[in-house]
Amino acid sequence: MKPVSLTAPPLPRSRPPLRATEEGPLVRWTLIAVTLLFFALFLALPLVAVFAEAFRKGWALYLETFRDPASLHAIRLSLLVAAIVVPINTVFGVVIAWAVSRFNFRGKSLLIVLVDLPLWVSPVIAGLMYVLLFGAESPLGPWLRSHGIKIIFATPGMVLATLFVTFPLVARTLIPLMQAQGVAEEEAALTLGARGWQIFFRITLPKIRWGLLYGVILCNARALGEFGAVSVVSGHIRGLTNTIPLQIEILYNEYAFSAAFALASLLSLLALATLGIKSVIDRRTARQLAAGEGLSTNPDTQTLNT
Amino acid sequence: MSITTEHLSKAYGRFAALKPTSIRLPTGRLVALLGPSGSGKTTLLRLIAGLEFPDSGAIHFHDQEVTEKNAYERQAGFVFQHYALFNQMNVFENIAFGLKVRPRRLRPGREAIAERVRQLLELVQLAGLEKRYPSQLSGGQRQRIALARALAIEPRVLLLDEPFGALDARVRKDLRVWLRHFHREANITTLFVTHDQEEAFEVADEVIILHEGEVQQTGTPDELRRTPANPFVRDFLDVAAPTTPPGG
Repeated sequence: MKPVSLTAPPLPRSRPPLRATEEGPLVRWTLIAVTLLFFALFLALPLVAVFAEAFRKGWALYLETFRDPASLHAIRLSLLVAAIVVPINTVFGVVIAWAVSRFNFRGKSLLIVLVDLPLWVSPVIAGLMYVLLFGAESPLGPWLRSHGIKIIFATPGMVLATLFVTFPLVARTLIPLMQAQGVAEEEAALTLGARGWQIFFRITLPKIRWGLLYGVILCNARALGEFGAVSVVSGHIRGLTNTIPLQIEILYNEYAFSAAFALASLLSLLALATLGIKSVIDRRTARQLAAGEGLSTNPDTQTLNT
Repeated sequence: MSITTEHLSKAYGRFAALKPTSIRLPTGRLVALLGPSGSGKTTLLRLIAGLEFPDSGAIHFHDQEVTEKNAYERQAGFVFQHYALFNQMNVFENIAFGLKVRPRRLRPGREAIAERVRQLLELVQLAGLEKRYPSQLSGGQRQRIALARALAIEPRVLLLDEPFGALDARVRKDLRVWLRHFHREANITTLFVTHDQEEAFEVADEVIILHEGEVQQTGTPDELRRTPANPFVRDFLDVAAPTTPPGG
C-alpha cells in the first residue's frame, strides 16, 4: 500500500473559497437587499415618522405635552406599574427558572408550557380574565365592593394585567441559560461547605446576571408599553387610570397629534434604549458563555517536577 | 479517616445504578474505583460525597454515620471530572471559597486564608497564579486548582471523579505520578474513579472493580492480575486466560 502523505501541498487560492452552504452573488445580494428594504420600510421609516410628527410643530409644543397634568399622570402611573411588576416578575422568574432547571418533578413539562401561556393568549383576553375574576359582575365583585377594594378600573387591576402579560419574559430568558450552564459549579460549592443561599448569591447569580438583566429590561419595556390587557381593565379614566399607551390613544383620538406623538416618541426612545442595552448584554453573555465552556487554547506546557 | 458503605444502593427510575454495595477503605489508603461506563462507579462516588442520596444502606466516615448528612456537612473534598471551577472567580477566590463560606466563628481571618491559598498553590506547584481566571489556565493547571480548592477545606476524605479523564496523554502521566506522590505525603483517604485500568493499577494501592452496579472484585493490582475472580474481571483486565480449562 502506498503511504499516505499527510502534508499535501496547499491548493492554489485565487479567490476566497465558496462554502457549500453559500449561494452565488446574485442570490446573496438579492436577499440582503430585500432584508434591508423590508427593514427600512416597516421598521425604520415608522420610527422616524413618530419623531418627525412629534417635532413637526416645534420644540415648544413638544415640551408642552409634558406639562399637561393628564399626560404627566399617565407617565407616573406607567412608572408605578412597572416599578411593581418588574421586581415581582424578576423574583418569580428566577424561582421558576431555578425550579425547572434544577429539579425534576411531576408536571414540569406542563409548567414550562404554562410559563409561555401569556405569550400565546391575546392581551385583550388577559384583561378580560381579570374583569371576569374581579369585576363588579364577578362572584367576588360584591364582596370586594363591600370591603372598599377596587381592582378593576383601578391601579391594582392594571398591575395584575401587566403582571400576567410580562410574566414569561424573565423566566424564559433564564431557563435555557440555566439549563445550558448545568449544576457542576453548584455541586462543587456544595461539597466545599456552602449552603443553599450562599450558592445562589455567590455562584448562580453571578453566572446568570447578564441573562437576568436582559430579562428584566425586556420585562420593563413591555410593562411600560403594554396596551391591550391594560386597556380592558383600565376604564380609561383620564388623569387616573391611563398609562402612557392609553393616553397616547386618547390624545390621538382627539386629534391632538403633536401631544400623542410626543408621548409616543418617549416610548420609542425607551424601546431604543432597551435595544441598546440588550446588544451590550448580548455581547457580555456570549463572552460569559465562552468563558464558561473554558475554550482556552494555551496548551499544557508546564511539566510537573515530582 | 476510613470510609465504609453497607448495602448502599441507588436506582434512577427502573435502572439500578448501584446494587447493594459494601466497601471498606482503610484510613490513608489510595483506592481506585474501576469499571466500564455505566458500571455505577460515579454513582457510588457521588453517594459518598453526599451529592446523591441512597435508596438504602449506610455510609460511615470513620465511626460517624453520614448517610443522612448533607454534602456541605460531610467535609469530603470532591474533584469533578470537568473541574467545575468557578469561572467568575480567579484562582485565589476559587481556592479560598470553601474557607470564606464557613460560618463566621469557624472562618479563618483574611491573612490566614491568604496564607493557606499560598501554601496550597505551592503544593500543586502553581504558585503565583492567584490572579488568573480559569479560562486562562490549561487543562492540567485547572485540574490541580480544582484539587487545591478541594484540599482547602481540610477534607476528611478525598474523592476524585475521573481526575485525568479530560487531559491529554502526557499531562495525564505526569499528574498520575504527582497524585501518587502527593498522596504519600498528605496521607488522606482517597477514592478515585477511573475507567482506565492502567491508570488504576499504576496509581492505587487497592482497586475495586465495578460492573453493572456490583462489586466484582477488590484487591491490590497484583492480586487482581494474578487471580481474577470471574470472567468479567479477567476480560476487563485483559489477563490471559488460564491455559488449563477451568473445572479441569
